[in-house]
Amino acid sequence: MARVGIERRPFRVADAALALWIAMLAAVTVYGAATTTGFLTVSNMKAILTAASFVGIIAVGLTVIVLSGNLFSLALGQTAAISAMVFLYTLRLGLVAAILLTLLLGLTIGAVQGFVVGAWGANPIIVTIGAAGLMEGMAVWLSHGQSIVPPAGQTSWEHLANPVLGLPAPVYVFIVVTVILAVVMRRTRFGRQIYLLGENRTAARAAALPITLLTVGAFGIASLYTAGSGVLIGATSANASLLLVGSYTYDAIAAALVGGNAVTGGRGSIARTALGAIFIATISDMLLLRGYSTGGQILVRGIIVVVVVVLTNLRERSR
Amino acid sequence: MSTVERTRRRPRGGELAPYAILAIMIVALALVPVVTQYTVRTANVYDIFQNFASYGLVALALGITIIAGEFDLSVSSMYLLGGMVAVLTGAGSPMLGIAAALGAAVVVGVTQGGLIAGFRLNSMPVTLGGYLVVLGITYILGHNKSVLYDNYTVGLRLDEPVLQIFSIRSLVSLGIFVVATLVLRYLRVGRDLRAIGGDRRAARVAGVPVDRLLVGVFVVSALGAALPGALLSYSLATASPTNIGFDVLTFSATAALIGGVSLSGGKGGAVGIAAGVLSLSVLQEILAILRSPDYVSSLITGGLLVAVTIVWAPELSQWFRTTRIATSVEDERTPA
Repeated sequence: MARVGIERRPFRVADAALALWIAMLAAVTVYGAATTTGFLTVSNMKAILTAASFVGIIAVGLTVIVLSGNLFSLALGQTAAISAMVFLYTLRLGLVAAILLTLLLGLTIGAVQGFVVGAWGANPIIVTIGAAGLMEGMAVWLSHGQSIVPPAGQTSWEHLANPVLGLPAPVYVFIVVTVILAVVMRRTRFGRQIYLLGENRTAARAAALPITLLTVGAFGIASLYTAGSGVLIGATSANASLLLVGSYTYDAIAAALVGGNAVTGGRGSIARTALGAIFIATISDMLLLRGYSTGGQILVRGIIVVVVVVLTNLRERSR
Repeated sequence: MSTVERTRRRPRGGELAPYAILAIMIVALALVPVVTQYTVRTANVYDIFQNFASYGLVALALGITIIAGEFDLSVSSMYLLGGMVAVLTGAGSPMLGIAAALGAAVVVGVTQGGLIAGFRLNSMPVTLGGYLVVLGITYILGHNKSVLYDNYTVGLRLDEPVLQIFSIRSLVSLGIFVVATLVLRYLRVGRDLRAIGGDRRAARVAGVPVDRLLVGVFVVSALGAALPGALLSYSLATASPTNIGFDVLTFSATAALIGGVSLSGGKGGAVGIAAGVLSLSVLQEILAILRSPDYVSSLITGGLLVAVTIVWAPELSQWFRTTRIATSVEDERTPA
């Protein structure tokens, strides 16, 4: 769909701006790569891929919400953190049970938010801000404010963080879940209906699409993927508390936006977000190596988000 | 069709709801001595107004953006930047610090509002980027750590009790609320604001200067975050870039929505928002008196936010109506 549109459309200013932006990003990346000491090393590439995996899994899940026209979720960081906590706590029941329980919890949390948004038309941003507050409160309440560590004597979870064939396990998980979701979004009825819902809600309603069910699915998938990332984050850090919330929410949203997905829904793809996640991880890594402070890193991310939102909008409008 | 029905039906219960909630909170505060041995004193009322001073204006500013049909996610970092700029520039003269903080807010507001109005962008992603940019600048200005404000007397003066229950800080907030109430109710700008939130296309056709108003709305919301942020930093004699998450945002969004501001835009006023802020402030005071741990407050605020969002959800009444029809209680539908 999108590709046909690009080929037939005459060249516009917005395209030039976008091309210029991509060229600029590429130039900055290449320049940075060449001049940053320690950037072009095998171990650093692995670090980038690992960082991109944690954020990337969350971000590709989030993309379903974006495509469905429900903007984004502001509860992802909290979902990831409590998933890591629940995973490490339930490890005493065995590795498989812990993973399944955590994923089920994630799916449920997302599905409930999706129901409120889909069935009653509640504002997705505010609902997810409220859900984030609820999750933080619950997490402190149930954990008594302490961080969760894996039960003594259990080591099965270590496989989730160990390298396989030279790359950390989360990287493979990232690739596999991205491919699965990309296929689901392109090849299944669910995927196509999500695109239609995001593209035109009125038409989707007129066509009697199951809007509630689709929204439950979108938030459920996003939260399920976030919980999966939480499992990997928990296994990698072997210690989970609300401190893990960190910047996952914003990084995931930034990845989806930088990939060029239309914020208003209907246009974009899972692959775009995956690339966006790798780009964000690359830039963060480069800034870190060059000694930029926390503030500098946040600032650069913010500027990238604003510029991309403006450019994506210009391109969408020139269609 | 259904929107017309809704706008006619809602106001009756909806307009009184903020005050009913406030009344419930005050009764709950009065009942505290029954549960514990604690007697409620004027100091508690002072605390409530201090809380009002710290967050009330953010709720008012956010409420105004919601009335205009937009949203500003950047208020929580603008709050921090306001404090940081005031502390860094106000060492000699506190008024200069306030002026600098407000100046920074105008720059942020004009930039965000200009982008949103000029390119017709959705305000959520723009202000999310703005949130990150402003937070990053706050970190850079503070060199990633808290900055102390040496002029302690300013904070003491700002928080000195006036008539036992007020302080300069809370009187400033209350004064601005009075002005906002008058402006929103009696000036043309108030009507125009509701118009662009209710039906933007119609407002544009009717000659409302939509773009200029939108820029103004985002300037107001940045100012409403920066001023209390600056005053609070003077009061605490410190400014911190620490990402306190969406605490300020959660509090003010909940307060505005409890105060009768509709998320679909076009509805709400300053008095209602004030009632919403007071309700939450009384609640915080009750929790403080009961010595509840922090998570209780975050559970209650989060739960309230979800609850009011559901109450304001545009399709909620429709959903219930269709469900009722499904269970064959059709009397409900007979025209009044």
